[in-house]
Amino acid sequence: MFRGGFSGRELRAVDDISLRVPVGSTYGLLGPNGAGKTTFVKMLLSCTHPTAGRAMVFGRDTREPEARRPIGYLPENHRFPTYMTGWDMLDFYGALSGMDTTARRKRIPELLDLVGLEQRAHHLRLGKYSKGMLQRVGLAQALIHSPRLLVLDEPSDGVDPVGRKHIRDVLQSLEQQGVTIFLNSHLLAEVELFCREVAIIQKGRLALSGTVQELTAGSGYRIEGLHVPESLETELRARARSFAANNGSLQLLFGTREEANQAVDLLRANGCEIESLGRIKSTLEDVFMKTIEPQEVNQ
Amino acid sequence: MKATTALILDTFREAFARRIFWGFFGCCTALLLFLMFIMRIDVVEGAAATVTILGRNNPSTDVERVVHQTQGVIAMILYFAGMALSVFASAGLVSAMFEQGRIELLLSKPVSRTHLLLGRYAGNVLVVAANILYLVLGSWIIFGIKTGVWGAGFLLSSLCTIFIFCILLAVIVLAGVLWDSAAIAIMATFAIMIVTPILAQRVTIERLLGSESSRDVVRVLYYTLPKISDVSVIIWRLIMNQPVESWMPVWSTAIFGAVVLGLGLWQFERRSF
Repeated sequence: MFRGGFSGRELRAVDDISLRVPVGSTYGLLGPNGAGKTTFVKMLLSCTHPTAGRAMVFGRDTREPEARRPIGYLPENHRFPTYMTGWDMLDFYGALSGMDTTARRKRIPELLDLVGLEQRAHHLRLGKYSKGMLQRVGLAQALIHSPRLLVLDEPSDGVDPVGRKHIRDVLQSLEQQGVTIFLNSHLLAEVELFCREVAIIQKGRLALSGTVQELTAGSGYRIEGLHVPESLETELRARARSFAANNGSLQLLFGTREEANQAVDLLRANGCEIESLGRIKSTLEDVFMKTIEPQEVNQ
Repeated sequence: MKATTALILDTFREAFARRIFWGFFGCCTALLLFLMFIMRIDVVEGAAATVTILGRNNPSTDVERVVHQTQGVIAMILYFAGMALSVFASAGLVSAMFEQGRIELLLSKPVSRTHLLLGRYAGNVLVVAANILYLVLGSWIIFGIKTGVWGAGFLLSSLCTIFIFCILLAVIVLAGVLWDSAAIAIMATFAIMIVTPILAQRVTIERLLGSESSRDVVRVLYYTLPKISDVSVIIWRLIMNQPVESWMPVWSTAIFGAVVLGLGLWQFERRSF
């Protein structure tokens, strides 16, 4: 709850959100600007104090410093000290995470290589890093103490497509090692590619959550047939939810698997060729827009 | 301990990068070189025959008095001008810690907020203390070698200067936590540096005031706020090997500093970023 300037009006930035993130999974947090995603993440890390309730991670209140030990964090608008080199920065945050000098010396070059920073960048001041390099070193910083939970706020912001792929590969290998990854991103395609589960936050409340597979599950089946005789076309059009004919090809949409199977049988029985057959999937963007739009309209 | 060392080293690194440390270091070195090469004291049988500064002879007889007075001048320059510069430099170092995108990262680490702020505080004190000790210890050795006067008063005075800096830094920390602004922190600290020497004249001020309530206000302000002017008198007496009449200015100032630093820590602990 925040109290606005002179008006004194209260703003509920995050309201009664409780998420269960399975250990070792990748979890995406979505929401429009100002939905409360960053505030929620900051509460998890005890940067922001809730007016009521508690933020618990691995069963511990994150206000206790020790509760934050298994967490690695990369903030969205990070401002790393520009007077440090990549190596210095990892050394500093490693020490704050409780690592001793020997462990840091061993881990730092491994991590800088892992995130794809060239040797010469290791001892270059952060002030001279590009946005993409800063994101990479920021990710290395979050990984320095081998956390069990990784909280990433827009990790591929400003990174080119090759770098983005590299970051995704790194995260995937971490997931395989059992690290839980909590991703806060505006890039819906990236979240869809990478996360198993997502939650959508709107106006500080949990609007929707579930596995990506469930949320984008098919809303029908699409069949494209070629050289369909007119009599059969009429019959199939009557059965289909929608259709489109173009240059000898007929595209049909069916609501259920049974309807689609019957259509395939009919097409094959009439000697028609099937060009393509597939389940229609919603994209995460569709799901996101459907979740957000009604509330935006009511605004 | 790892975190404390890291926070202190980080403050040094930032002070180096901002040229603050080197600025102080350069000034101190220039003063030491001045003492080493420009000032010449010829001592004959335990007394100064002549003191030569920039080639001009100043006849003198009491070498100890000459050394103590020169040390007193250095200590006062350090105490007032050095302190003002230190306040300017430190305000930026403290408020930089609260920058968005930087503070979140620090707070996400398994280190308590009190530890984080005290680490930065200690680093800042050490940056300034290193330079003060460099100048005082350096000039003390130069005077000692040139004249054979090795009084401990000058060394003790440096501890008083560092002590007052600790108090002013507590004000900077509190203002920084409250307003995130180096400018406001500097203004608040300078206000104290300007007001307290005026309050040190409270006997005269009380005589000029008509009502008893006004006199009470002056008294309360005097005893509550740090006694920068009174501590400078203590420093002078220490250097001159004179007895210190009262240590009240030191301990009451220490209480002020502890309370202000405590408030800063409390505010930092409960603040959302």
